[in-house]
Amino acid sequence: MARIGVFICHCGENISATVDCAKVSELAAGLPGVVYSTDYKYMCSDPGQSKIKEAIREHNLTGVVVSACSPRMHEPTFRKACAEAGLNPYLCEMANIREHCSWVHEKGDATTQKAFDLTRTLVEKVKNNHPLESIKVPVNKTAIVIGGGVAGIQASLDIANGGHQVILVEKQPSIGGHMSQLSETFPTLDCSQCILTPRMVEVAQHPNITLYTCSEIESMDGFIGNFNVKIRKKAKSVNEKLCTGCGLCTTKCPTKNIPSEFEQGLANRTAIYVPFPQAVPNKPVIDRANCRYFLTGKCKVCQKLCPTGAIDFEQEDEIIDVKAGAIVLATGFEIKNTDFFPEYGYGKYKDVINGLQFERLASASGPTQGAIRRPSDGKTPEKVVFIACAGSRDPAKGIPYCSKICCMYTAKHAMLYKHKVHEGTPYVFYMDIRAAGKNYDEFTRRAIEEDGAKYIRGRVSNIYEKDGKLIVRGADTLLGGKPVEIDADMVVLATAAVSCDGSESLAQKLHVSYDPYKFFAEAHPKLKPVETNTAGIYLAGACQAPKDIPESVAAASGAAAKVICLFSNDELTREPIVAKVNRMPPPIFSTCMGCEMCISICPYQAIDKENITNRNGEVIKTIAKINPGLCQGCGTCVAFCKSKSIDLEGYSNKQVYEEVLALLNN
Amino acid sequence: MGAINEIAARLLETGEAKVVIGYGEGSFGSVRPAFARNQEEAEKLIYDKRCTQNLAMYVYKKEISPLRKLAIVANVSTLRGIIRLASENQIKNGDIITLYINELGEVIECKALSEIEICLAEITPEIKPEDKELIDKLDAMTPQERWNFWISEMESCIKCYACRQACPLCYCTQCAVEVNQPQWIPVAANTSGNLEWHITRAMHLSGRCVECGQCGEACPVNIPIHLLPIKLAEEIKNIYGTVSGMKIQESNTLSTFKPDDKENFIG
Ligand SMILES: Cc1cc2nc3c(=O)[nH]c(=O)nc-3n(C[C@H](O)[C@H](O)[C@H](O)COP(=O)(O)OP(=O)(O)OC[C@H]3O[C@@H](n4cnc5c(N)ncnc54)[C@H](O)[C@@H]3O)c2cc1C
Ligand code: SF4
Ligand code: SF4
Ligand code: SF4
Ligand code: SF4
Repeated sequence: MARIGVFICHCGENISATVDCAKVSELAAGLPGVVYSTDYKYMCSDPGQSKIKEAIREHNLTGVVVSACSPRMHEPTFRKACAEAGLNPYLCEMANIREHCSWVHEKGDATTQKAFDLTRTLVEKVKNNHPLESIKVPVNKTAIVIGGGVAGIQASLDIANGGHQVILVEKQPSIGGHMSQLSETFPTLDCSQCILTPRMVEVAQHPNITLYTCSEIESMDGFIGNFNVKIRKKAKSVNEKLCTGCGLCTTKCPTKNIPSEFEQGLANRTAIYVPFPQAVPNKPVIDRANCRYFLTGKCKVCQKLCPTGAIDFEQEDEIIDVKAGAIVLATGFEIKNTDFFPEYGYGKYKDVINGLQFERLASASGPTQGAIRRPSDGKTPEKVVFIACAGSRDPAKGIPYCSKICCMYTAKHAMLYKHKVHEGTPYVFYMDIRAAGKNYDEFTRRAIEEDGAKYIRGRVSNIYEKDGKLIVRGADTLLGGKPVEIDADMVVLATAAVSCDGSESLAQKLHVSYDPYKFFAEAHPKLKPVETNTAGIYLAGACQAPKDIPESVAAASGAAAKVICLFSNDELTREPIVAKVNRMPPPIFSTCMGCEMCISICPYQAIDKENITNRNGEVIKTIAKINPGLCQGCGTCVAFCKSKSIDLEGYSNKQVYEEVLALLNN
Repeated sequence: MGAINEIAARLLETGEAKVVIGYGEGSFGSVRPAFARNQEEAEKLIYDKRCTQNLAMYVYKKEISPLRKLAIVANVSTLRGIIRLASENQIKNGDIITLYINELGEVIECKALSEIEICLAEITPEIKPEDKELIDKLDAMTPQERWNFWISEMESCIKCYACRQACPLCYCTQCAVEVNQPQWIPVAANTSGNLEWHITRAMHLSGRCVECGQCGEACPVNIPIHLLPIKLAEEIKNIYGTVSGMKIQESNTLSTFKPDDKENFIG
């Protein structure tokens, strides 16, 4: 006979303000099978938990229902309390009478009745619960970090310094990400390369880090502690083991006019190239889409020159299988290009550039050695207009969010310009100056007060070319919308930061969620900012939302700390909420017909086949078998199996059915 | 003696098959399934226009299955049924020899499943004209009219499960209707119980049905119950371009998880 205890929580006043908790408890006491029922101000508190434990012991309970908040937060709390009192934790269930009831309804009898109904369904469910044992799985102590920007670099170094193996996967030929393109960085104006390059080198030399460049994730399966990942290492056409990085090949390549990605198209590169001088690894790769040999079948100049015979035109993509216990996503962001803006000339005006292009112009290692010259004719611009929020905070453009970094880097750009062109005038069109951060407001103030940047609050409606000038037309909203027109020599758009190319397909491969803008979603915006909803996969840097360097690095170290915590366990316990194929005595063995259709439907590749054999080892029947280590309890196979041979532990058909029935038989 | 009888006799003689499943003369000018286990029975097999039944449903019946290897006289539906059964692992290659009678009346003997696939590659399955007519009529209805049509049809269902017994793909030892812990589908033959049974049946056959129409054929109260799975098969063909029971591979259309599946059918 079931002996169920029901515990109604007031959640301070969160529940009791609209639900008559004492009444719910009283009604629950009258339910068949309920032998004890009570209500209390905070069930999750120590005295609250003690009430549950005492009741279990005193009334010999066989099941517990706690009607309180969402199980997401406190199910573990109450299950643990039950376990401490000797009751199997999976005989404890929660009814959510807060989010599903008190918060969404007004005070009244109907609300109290609903709280009771929710409680009642769980009482019916728990009567059909049976004890479950948690599942133990080993932890593979290797981490995969995807993306080698500053966030990926930081996470890799932290995990590697914690004594664990790291596999860093970078899509480009070099690590470094956007930070390697920056000139000087706010809020201190220190040189970006100078602080980043040493860390890039440290990655390359770290005994615990394996670096794969020109590589991407092909597929992933498995689960926390036990991921199986296939990495596609694209053919570089250069044998890394033989190449010494002398760079001879790049000097003689006849294809020289390919716009350099690193220089944002402001300079050219060859078909066999190293993206930038400080690249890690500092070995060239062949860009097959542009290489003369791959296009015409003739050339191979680089091969003739290479003293070590490292050039390998036949090299093929390689698929590398790795096993890992944790994954850190650090694939960063991208910015919109100028061609996104019809009002600013659709990218057809050469002197309308984006922020990254300005970074390259201002960079000592850039195409102009740090001199600010406009791309069209190489002249030093006398008036430069910087437009913040280009695309950002603009629902009409589909980007309603703030790109966060632009206010700061625009102030930086205005400053750098003024430092380099003393007689020049920087204008900044802005919506608001968002400079929250340590020393950030001081920084933007300095741009205005010391470097004379002229800040105009308002949007720019359009730009057109006239007599070698760019006419920038806007309005000054602080002066009641007074029209402003500036004949600029160059315009820099602080274009919106967006999620990186391919983030959606990567998220799907890794089963992590993403927001409407395809930035990866954190598990909880406040309490789990570096975790994803998939256990064992963490977030670092700007792949989650636009972030500046300090934030990206902080998140990376946070993610690394999570990984190291995880790796401090040899084994993990998992919830036993997994699917099971039924078994029964011969001659049926199982009602599973071995159609194997569930094998292809399982999103987690958790199902395999199993042979049932007789004493002589002959196969009598082949049925499906679910690997409890891989199963995520999604229930897809349960719903699919036509012979109803699969059931989900903890959410069995019977349990759910009884819950529904309880509601219907009101 | 026709080719069928000769081949059946040979297969039984050489022991290549223990039984040949085919058609025989029934009473009042009808045909019935026939099982030839010896020369005499082989002589009585027939094949003509009346032989439309899909015999594939016999290959897994517990009286027949132990007799594998089997041979089976096959029309297109039977071939498709066999391919589908093979793709669901209910038949292994080599379990069965099919004697497919093509449009010209020639008997094509397939010993391997791949040979059946080759035969099927030549064929574009078509729905019977009278079925097409009714489907078009149903398509032209408003959802409410369609609902009323099916409710009134299903009203007369007596839950005899003949439709299930006739279907080559209803091979489960435990059918969903027999699950009583919990009892998802009520046993009683009443409106809601009948509806639940038929929705379940249609869903279980969606993407699997080989469009033979046997279920409708078997119904003692003449419900055109085959139109539900057949219509679903058409929908699947239109959306995914796949047809069940033509190839052993690539037939798990509705039961394959793909991360890039678009959910554009929602809303
Ligand atoms: C114009 C401009 C100026 C800025 N100035 C400053 C500044 O002064 N100070 C400051 O603090 N911040 C500045 N920032 C912000 C700074 O660039 C970012 O905070 C920082 O780059 C974020 O680092 P990240 O590693 O998260 O991403 P990223 O730098 O974008 O690095 C991501 C890396 O992941 C790789 N990757 C992407 N997809 C994949 C994939 N599928 N598989 C494998 N690898 C992949 C990319 O190739 C890249 O190497 C500026 C940004 C811009 C646009
Ligand atoms: S469990 Fe169900 S779906 Fe899976 S193989 Fe068995 S019968 Fe088929
Ligand atoms: S419940 Fe079924 S479909 Fe879902 S993960 Fe587990 S085995 Fe796979
Ligand atoms: S038409 Fe009917 S009997 Fe034939 S396969 Fe489809 S559901 Fe089964
Ligand atoms: S054969 Fe006809 S009457 Fe019998 S269960 Fe099927 S639909 Fe109902």
